[in-house]
Amino acid sequence: MNFIAGRKNILSSLNLRSLFREAALICLVGAALGLGVNQALVRDVLFGHEPIATVVPSESGGPAFPVAIEDVVRMLKSGAVAVDARAREFFAEGHLPGALSLSVGELDEALALFMEKVPLNTALIVYCSGYGCPDSEDVAMRLMSAGFSDVRIYEGGFPEWRDAGLPVETGGQP
Amino acid sequence: MTHRWTIIAENICRWLVGGVFLYAGAVKAGDVVAFAGDVANYQLFPYAVNFLIAAALPYIEMLAGALLVFNRRVRAAALVVGGLNLVFIVVLISALARGLDIDCGCFNSAGQGAATVVAALVRDVALMVPIVLISLLKKDDFRPG
Repeated sequence: MNFIAGRKNILSSLNLRSLFREAALICLVGAALGLGVNQALVRDVLFGHEPIATVVPSESGGPAFPVAIEDVVRMLKSGAVAVDARAREFFAEGHLPGALSLSVGELDEALALFMEKVPLNTALIVYCSGYGCPDSEDVAMRLMSAGFSDVRIYEGGFPEWRDAGLPVETGGQP
Repeated sequence: MTHRWTIIAENICRWLVGGVFLYAGAVKAGDVVAFAGDVANYQLFPYAVNFLIAAALPYIEMLAGALLVFNRRVRAAALVVGGLNLVFIVVLISALARGLDIDCGCFNSAGQGAATVVAALVRDVALMVPIVLISLLKKDDFRPG
């Protein structure tokens, strides 16, 4: 009897081990599939885009060039203005230091006011909620159409800035 | 419960849970960036990790869901969806505890089908019942010896 009970225990522990091994395999295969299918996005997120030093500054009417986080830090120190393209409530929760809110949803009304405050030759860095968020591109295009000659897009956006431990300001725009 | 009813109950649970995970995974896989935004809303992981989770998780859900629907490696797939569901419950409770007012990101991203954290929590806890039933009712996939 003891022998049979012992054998049952061994079998059930073997079964349990196989069960966990198969579950782990399902997770591994699924994850590999997902990361493989989305490899371009994963590469962008992990390694970012080329830093600004290797690209030409944007010209009026041309596409807005992407900037890496280190370039954003440097440009803000030398007088560039960050432009937050997210909704105002997200801006109030946290934004880059000195950023001005220019929500894509209120662009028509807000752009005129923005242009009164910011000279056309100011370097602008537009950002939103990270890679793949289209709002920064929309706002950048409108800013360039309005006559701003130096507009860049910070694709890492607010999440990357916050997660890098860089200073964040809170509160709405006066 | 007779053997026949056991099989019927197990099949219903499999199709229900498998279908839910297959659908949830497919919707999220269709818009990985939006799902990454939903994951980021929980404020639990660094920026890049949100994207890695958003890229990998829907495919794990779809794979486990498909195995359940097609009656293959059922106990292992049930273990995976059970584990995932448990993680979702813990994450939702943490969001609730921190007072986050966010879309759960369970299915669609902040559009149709968006659910509040509490509704998602109730649904996930309820989903644990058929998941546990599958594990209890399903005979071993492994028959050593």
